[in-house]
Amino acid sequence: MHEMAIARSIVDIAVAAAGTENARRVVRVNVLAGELRAIIPSQLILYFGLVSRDTIAEGSHLSLETAPLVGRCAGCGDEFSLKDLTLVCPVCRGQDIEMISGTELRVKDIEVE
Amino acid sequence: MKINVMTDVLEANDRIADGNRQVFDSNKNLVLNLMSSPGAGKTALLERTASALKGKLRLGVIVGDLETTRDADRLEKQGIPVVQLTTGSACHLDANMIAVALSRLDLSAIDVLVIENVGNLVCPAEFRLGEDVKVMILSVTEGDEKPLKYPVIFRESSLLIINKIDLLKHTDFHMDEAKANARKTHPDLEILDVSCVTGEGVSEWVDWLCRRYREKFGASIRA
Repeated sequence: MHEMAIARSIVDIAVAAAGTENARRVVRVNVLAGELRAIIPSQLILYFGLVSRDTIAEGSHLSLETAPLVGRCAGCGDEFSLKDLTLVCPVCRGQDIEMISGTELRVKDIEVE
Repeated sequence: MKINVMTDVLEANDRIADGNRQVFDSNKNLVLNLMSSPGAGKTALLERTASALKGKLRLGVIVGDLETTRDADRLEKQGIPVVQLTTGSACHLDANMIAVALSRLDLSAIDVLVIENVGNLVCPAEFRLGEDVKVMILSVTEGDEKPLKYPVIFRESSLLIINKIDLLKHTDFHMDEAKANARKTHPDLEILDVSCVTGEGVSEWVDWLCRRYREKFGASIRA
């Protein structure tokens, strides 16, 4: 359900960025979404289509790239998948784990005409 | 033509949250974002808190619900300042809703402001409101596997309150299992066992609030 609010933010960011280049319309919006953000792509795309109506982003293509959840152990430096979000290093059993990927939610770039 | 953007999608929300935080800090408010499933006991905990905090810290509440003012009505009976936000279809509160609500509260008359979020274990964890700390409630009737199903909210919260412990004997909820599951995603998560019906654990919760207030503002606490 948070997809609606996120779609609205994405449209605002895309329209503002297009405005800085005096673009006529937005053709494509490329978004990077970390796995931890629990975004359902089909829902986000549906809402994006709805909230972009009557803006210069209407009809543009929303492309979602997913960033996998990856942790790095502060103790031994091992990098590993955090698929089930268990924050324990598989090599040294350390618990000081930094998430180096999977939390981002960012508009990377847009294509305009 | 391609335009490089690299803007965080929630940046607008975060900016407003930072503004809220400044207002809270200047009014010496400790602010909690209280999250849980529907029916886990957020309002019941706040009813208990209102009377247990009397003479120690002044409590105020912003409460978000899809519909009705029932929670606010319950809390107003406790004689504390309450603002009800009716979110309509929104499944979570965002920073702007809080910014608008602030004009309806005298923050200088509040020490601890609790923002009772919409009952939901997914969306509220994504939106910063300007709070100092996120607190969540898991009730024993929901099941001890919930931390595995909704890891993000357990990870975002500093304190987990396990509520309805008076019902433990009627459920297959295993306390050790629940805590181990929660600490898998958040190893240094603080946990308190509470029953809002019997009052067990409420004084520990009040101590926790007083400690957090002291940590933020020094020894100016009255109790």
